[in-house]
Amino acid sequence: MNNMKQLTRNAIPEREGWLRSKQTQKWIFLLFAITPAFGGYLLFTLYPNLMSAYYSLLNWNGISDPVFVGFQNYVTLFQDKYVWRALFHNLIYMFFVPAFVILISLLLAYILTNKNYKGTPFYKVIFFFPNVLSSVVVALLWAFIYDGSFGLLNSMLRLVGINIGEYYWLGEIKTALWAIIPPYVWAGVGFYVIIFMNAMVTIPKSLYESAILEGATPMTRLVKITIPLIMPIVRVGALFLVLGSLKGFEHVLILTNGGPAGSTDVIGLYMFNLAFGAEYHNYGYASAVGMFLFIVLVIAKLITDKYITSQTVEY
Amino acid sequence: MTEKRSLADVLWIVMLVAGALSVLYPLVWVFYQSLKTNQQFFQNVWSLPETLQWSNYKTAWVKYGIGKSLLNTLYYVGLSLIIGTFLTTLNAYALTRIEFKGRKLIWGIIMLSLFLPGINALIPQFVLMRDLQLTNSLTGLIILDSFGESVFFLLLLGGFMQSLPKELEESAYMDGASIFQVFLRIIAPLATPGIVTVAIFKFLGLYNNFLAPFIYLSDQKKYTIGVAMYQANQLMQYTSDWVTLFAGVLIAMIPSVFMFVFFQRWIMEGATLGGVKG
Repeated sequence: MNNMKQLTRNAIPEREGWLRSKQTQKWIFLLFAITPAFGGYLLFTLYPNLMSAYYSLLNWNGISDPVFVGFQNYVTLFQDKYVWRALFHNLIYMFFVPAFVILISLLLAYILTNKNYKGTPFYKVIFFFPNVLSSVVVALLWAFIYDGSFGLLNSMLRLVGINIGEYYWLGEIKTALWAIIPPYVWAGVGFYVIIFMNAMVTIPKSLYESAILEGATPMTRLVKITIPLIMPIVRVGALFLVLGSLKGFEHVLILTNGGPAGSTDVIGLYMFNLAFGAEYHNYGYASAVGMFLFIVLVIAKLITDKYITSQTVEY
Repeated sequence: MTEKRSLADVLWIVMLVAGALSVLYPLVWVFYQSLKTNQQFFQNVWSLPETLQWSNYKTAWVKYGIGKSLLNTLYYVGLSLIIGTFLTTLNAYALTRIEFKGRKLIWGIIMLSLFLPGINALIPQFVLMRDLQLTNSLTGLIILDSFGESVFFLLLLGGFMQSLPKELEESAYMDGASIFQVFLRIIAPLATPGIVTVAIFKFLGLYNNFLAPFIYLSDQKKYTIGVAMYQANQLMQYTSDWVTLFAGVLIAMIPSVFMFVFFQRWIMEGATLGGVKG
């Protein structure tokens, strides 16, 4: 017993010395601090991303044994008219959603920053609010708006004397694709209003004052001073919106699930339904579609970078 | 420098008001429809409710299992938020304030995530989760969403931590503090504003997360609020019980509204930080 105590007493200073050695302590801390987050990232993000390239070379329904088929899935993909239709829808969203979001938020940000009307902070808060709502809530709100019999939109049209009967905006091939755009715009504008306002505030007042002295109209001031100076921020915003509307499919999934007759299908959703949809599952082909989307995203990024002027303006 | 109110001013104000109405009116409309009976709603969508049917909210609560799904959401969001925020803070400190070999490499690997669309990873991720037996489990979702890196959060917290003077840590080490103590007693308290911002954004992201719970949870008893409302809407095709669905959607909005009302300034400032940093 006594011997034991003696031993432990001797051991303590040694252990403390070992712990105090700053290097060891640092590495223990680093291990403790980095492993969970970085390990999780490697396991749940990086590894699946790498694996999807491999999966795209398989014929696999997720349950039976996978069969290696080489580039067969990609050959199928290029002949799959549904992929091209979905890509076409993506391109429509990719153009119209960013265009509307940026135009509307630039306009609202310009009014709020330069006009000093009463209630500016109130408007900012209201515009931003849809950004905190979940995609389910946003999609359901818009499903209520678009409903044929009782929807807000048709009721309003009837109120101003336009009676289009029980027209289901999301149920008709002609309009469903376009009806998906407003929910995205509605949910996205507020964020960019704030971003653009912050950018506009940093433009020195003196620029505007000298422009006014030289007789520039408000329109000239907007086009010649405000827009060029916040162009770098607009560019970043446009890039985010373009990539977002290529990738995103949650609203479409909830509002129409690609219907009617595939008229709102987008690549992300096509992939999703191939893998997790109600009908047959094909993980291999779905992964090939996913890789295709990846390539489209890279191309879109390069094009956006190139064609939305990147030169910065200085005065 | 006041300019005269002109026709242009009227136009600008009309635009502001129209913008605000387009946000507010659908919400107000849904709210007052949610207080009607289905008959009143079918007869005239403009009329105000005759008697306030608060019972619609009770019906929605029971019919869509909102009580249970809110509990599930609380468990999933709560634990992911606590574990995730703690790990992110720890991780940001290690990666931004401590010099060590291999740090650049780790940053490089994390930065890769900016180029990954993530969407093509859904399938391998699902297979991985299935192999780990973490599907159809809220705990599995917590594991998936708590462990990971986010460039946005790292930069946000890293920015906060880098602005603290080095002397703080050095003098603490002189007094014999360990690196763990320095982190818990000095860095974490001083970085609180950043940590709160991270926590708010994590909360919004987790509460609004639809795709992962939708993919991974197959058992109705485990649904989070988003999935529950999605299923409620699917059910509508057969029942057309509108007023109850209105009430349900509004209940699902309440946590977001509360967060926004209380943390509005943090949310709007934090959002800009993310935007500028890209």
